[in-house]
Amino acid sequence: MPQLDRSAEDVENLDAVGSGLDALDAPVGERRPSFRKRFAWGVLPPVAALVLLIVVWQILWAAAFWSEAQLPAPLAVWDEFWGIVVDGQVFGFVWTSVHRAALGFVAGVLIGTPLGLVVAKVRVVRAAIGPLLTGLQSLPSVAWVPAAILWFGINDGAIYFVVLLGSVPSIANGLVSGIDQIPPILPRVGQVMGANRLSSARHILLPAALPGFLAGLKQGWAFSWRSLMAAELIALSPQLGVGLGAYLNQGSSLNSIETVIAAIFLILLVGVGIELAVFRPLERAVLRARGLTSSL
Amino acid sequence: MTTTLPTGRPSFTGATAVRLDGVRKTFGPAGRAVTALDGVDLTVAPGEFVCLLGASGCGKSTLLNLVAGLDAPSAGEITLNTSRPAVMFQEAALMPWLTAARNVELPLRLAGFGRAERREKAAELLDLVRLNGAGAKRPHELSGGMRQRVALARALAATLRVGGDPEQSLLLMDEPFAALDAITRDVLQGELLRVYRSTGTSVLFVTHDVREAVRLGQRVVLLSSRPGRVVREWTDVPLADAAELTEEITGHLREVISTHAAA
Repeated sequence: MPQLDRSAEDVENLDAVGSGLDALDAPVGERRPSFRKRFAWGVLPPVAALVLLIVVWQILWAAAFWSEAQLPAPLAVWDEFWGIVVDGQVFGFVWTSVHRAALGFVAGVLIGTPLGLVVAKVRVVRAAIGPLLTGLQSLPSVAWVPAAILWFGINDGAIYFVVLLGSVPSIANGLVSGIDQIPPILPRVGQVMGANRLSSARHILLPAALPGFLAGLKQGWAFSWRSLMAAELIALSPQLGVGLGAYLNQGSSLNSIETVIAAIFLILLVGVGIELAVFRPLERAVLRARGLTSSL
Repeated sequence: MTTTLPTGRPSFTGATAVRLDGVRKTFGPAGRAVTALDGVDLTVAPGEFVCLLGASGCGKSTLLNLVAGLDAPSAGEITLNTSRPAVMFQEAALMPWLTAARNVELPLRLAGFGRAERREKAAELLDLVRLNGAGAKRPHELSGGMRQRVALARALAATLRVGGDPEQSLLLMDEPFAALDAITRDVLQGELLRVYRSTGTSVLFVTHDVREAVRLGQRVVLLSSRPGRVVREWTDVPLADAAELTEEITGHLREVISTHAAA
């Protein structure tokens, strides 16, 4: 009987081998690069690209290929931008737009999450509206603006309608693909551990689908911001206040290319700012916790 | 089918932990159905370590899934006199977003244990698989062998019930060490025997490795392939000479596999 009466010494040896293996086989965690290094890699390249862009712009302007009304000097745009910063208008524009987009996005999450869960887990629902959801994702939401104006009039309702139609499909589809990519072994493990449908969704499906869902949220935000700009640009009314879209429209109707470019710059700035301040850190935290950081 | 789960107080007096009576399992539509298991009778006594041995396609995993309640037999009866069986797969299948300790706590959480009790029991179980220092690590920071040990601790946690007396437990293992390198497998087999002896659980262990079956099992059951039937079994395995028995069982396994070449 070679195994059952293994002597104490043998067991001890095995323990030592086991601990040795643990020490040797455990993956060595990569050290996070220093703050300076991360700063150098994360900030300097985009700043350099921006500077280069402005230099090229300045050269093109100085060469006077186009009239001043088509291509303004970088400094003229800066003056316009600085003007609205100094008189405080810019905060009004940004606030009007951002709070609308944020509200619309939150509503989109509240609608899109259960919708995505149902589409992912109920076969007949997926067969019925899955393709529609994907189709809506590729339909430019600006196409809904005329319909929204006819149905709701020129008011906040019309704008939120367009924002929701822009963001909900992306958020729902993100959750669906997140759930589709869960390794089938995980729900099975949940089942043998005694999880019912609801606790399985709460403790296994949703956390497992989080990376895909987060990608959907990111795209949902981009789409709701985009849709909002389209809606604001077209649906103009004093009661709606002046958001970034309306500011852009003002520039266009006043034939002021400086205003137009400053508005585009601001819209871009808000989009990039939210991505960097909210979604990038969130995504990193989620991926790092799962050891999926090699690409970041 | 009837899967009899213990209601109220389980009895330790029952002579079996699990009993399979004429279990049959077919897959696919009638007419073109494939029979995975046919008329399998098998019992595991409380505290017994049984190894199910067979080549590919013998329905070992199917049988385990039936006992685990992941699937229902087409005919026959499975009787469990244990708490919810603990199941381990070839992959550790740890939740990648949870730390090792949280992974062990998950089944306790599903069973409704309070936070403090969860912590305590998870720490005990991690201690049992000698991972007390690794509770805060995430699965991707652990080696394959360590992950399987966390999976073992988690599987054992799934047998616990709130306020329940310690019941006879059953550990179902589906080739849990097949994906590991030879030396890690050797260590983990020793580890499993240690855990087995200190918990008194019954084990139903599926493998295609004869040496592993002989090393671990008190009883080795050989299944035929397509459909799976019990061909032979060897009892009192620890008392036999390991090398001789391994050779004998390997001979029978080869025979079973060879019959498929002719067909």
